[in-house]
Amino acid sequence: MKTTNRLNSLRPARRSGIFLALLASVIFAAPIAFVVAGDTNSPPAQVEPVKPAKNVAKKKLTGAELYQINCNRCHAERYPTEFTSAQWKSIVTHMRVRANIPAAQAREILKYLQQDSGN
Amino acid sequence: MLPQPASAQVSADDFNALKKTVEQMNEKLQKLEQTHAQDQQIIQQLQQQLGETKVAVTNAQQTADNAAKVQSASPALNVSEGPMHNFTIVGDAETQFGKTAGQHSSFVQADFAPIFLFRASDDVLFEAGFDFILANNGTMISDRSPGNTTTVNLSFATLDYLLNDYMTLEAGELLLPLGTYSERSAGWLNKIPDNPLARDSIVPGTGVGVELRGALPIGASGQSLTFAGYAVNGPSSGATNSIASASALDLNGNVGNNGNWHGNPSGGGRVGWFIPWKPHYDFELGLSGQSGQWSDSGNRSWTAGVVDAALHYGPNIEVKGEYIKTWVGSDDLGTIRPNGWWVQGGYKLAGMGLELPYINNFELMGRYDYLNDALGTKTDRYTAGLVYYFSNTLLFEADYEWLRSHGPAALPPNSFILQLSYGF
Repeated sequence: MKTTNRLNSLRPARRSGIFLALLASVIFAAPIAFVVAGDTNSPPAQVEPVKPAKNVAKKKLTGAELYQINCNRCHAERYPTEFTSAQWKSIVTHMRVRANIPAAQAREILKYLQQDSGN
Repeated sequence: MLPQPASAQVSADDFNALKKTVEQMNEKLQKLEQTHAQDQQIIQQLQQQLGETKVAVTNAQQTADNAAKVQSASPALNVSEGPMHNFTIVGDAETQFGKTAGQHSSFVQADFAPIFLFRASDDVLFEAGFDFILANNGTMISDRSPGNTTTVNLSFATLDYLLNDYMTLEAGELLLPLGTYSERSAGWLNKIPDNPLARDSIVPGTGVGVELRGALPIGASGQSLTFAGYAVNGPSSGATNSIASASALDLNGNVGNNGNWHGNPSGGGRVGWFIPWKPHYDFELGLSGQSGQWSDSGNRSWTAGVVDAALHYGPNIEVKGEYIKTWVGSDDLGTIRPNGWWVQGGYKLAGMGLELPYINNFELMGRYDYLNDALGTKTDRYTAGLVYYFSNTLLFEADYEWLRSHGPAALPPNSFILQLSYGF
């Protein structure tokens, strides 16, 4: 392929730069180019977003907000009903250690998950 | 007129009846006095018993307080919950189909990776992750072995003791916090089926040892400073002689039970800064490293430094990556510097707000990774991928990889990979 040959003729650093520039363009241009007025249909991969708190720095974050902040870093959010209250306790302890979640935040997240946990 | 003086005439019968009545009353009074004395005695006895009871209650309370103090120092399993109540299984499972240029396509492997969690108390957790992999022999080894090969790996196994709100002690087979990939790369977490080249080649993913880790919250906005420090056996030499040739480096580590191998463990750690500014918007930056002996004689060291970063800009945009550099002391090549890096981006099409069926369930993926093994082979790879979310934990991934590799350990060229991944 011509494109491949052209890329091969470039030095790796330059090729990397081009690729990254293209990647960044796609990522950041897409939402601008395709913004459509109206509601965004959330994919099943994520829980309905909680309305962000105003003035986050001054207001204490809720368990739901802390859940979205910490858990979405690595994986799609799990629904509270997917596990029982006791299972959530083990899982949140596991994630507190694995993801280095501060203990106070982990407790709030656990409360939020246990409120609507499965039976 | 003055009143007349009172006067009465009492008959003998009336007087006797009255006298009898008085005598009966006296008798009753005596009985009552006697009963009262007995009651007083009983009351005294009861008061004495009450005093003794109070003393017993006080002693029992003190004993209970002492027992509670002992329990809080070494909390026991909550019997009312039962042992199975604290036992949880999570994990993931994958099936891969692959096609590499110049080879036939095949179902490459099936992987079942459960994680067992046992919460012994509020402060003690045991966790172990396994990898049961059934791999197609045709693509794994070259001598046409029949059938498939099943391997069982212990991915990690640690006993976690939550010392306080800020520190946890871990012991066992650790997922090393050299960067973040090792700890966040389960099949359904990473949206590209294979690992970045540098992660598989120049840094270990696990190590046996102990670790102290934790997080310090900063303010009320969710920010935190995370830290980890650990000691593990570390890399060793795979050579059959005592020469520390660079190619003999064994990153998996194999030390301790042979007097000829190096005896000192490696030390490492990571410091990270996590900065969220609202849900789904955050940035994380981490710096980590590990260093220690690897040669049998103990006079050659292996050192690694990793910079990792991750950005989430809304619920639909994610960019993350790592830069890895290592220094390997050797007898034959001096100090060589294997290095590599990778950057990966994802964009969920839900961000476009299109009113089309299924379209919001797609995520576009892209990755670039580069590896220089410092032994003459350099590889760079571009990956374009697509993820379809059947649910929040059931993912179908399709990726095409353009790979260019030059040197004595050159890798196979372009590949096409499909993967069905499920997190449970």
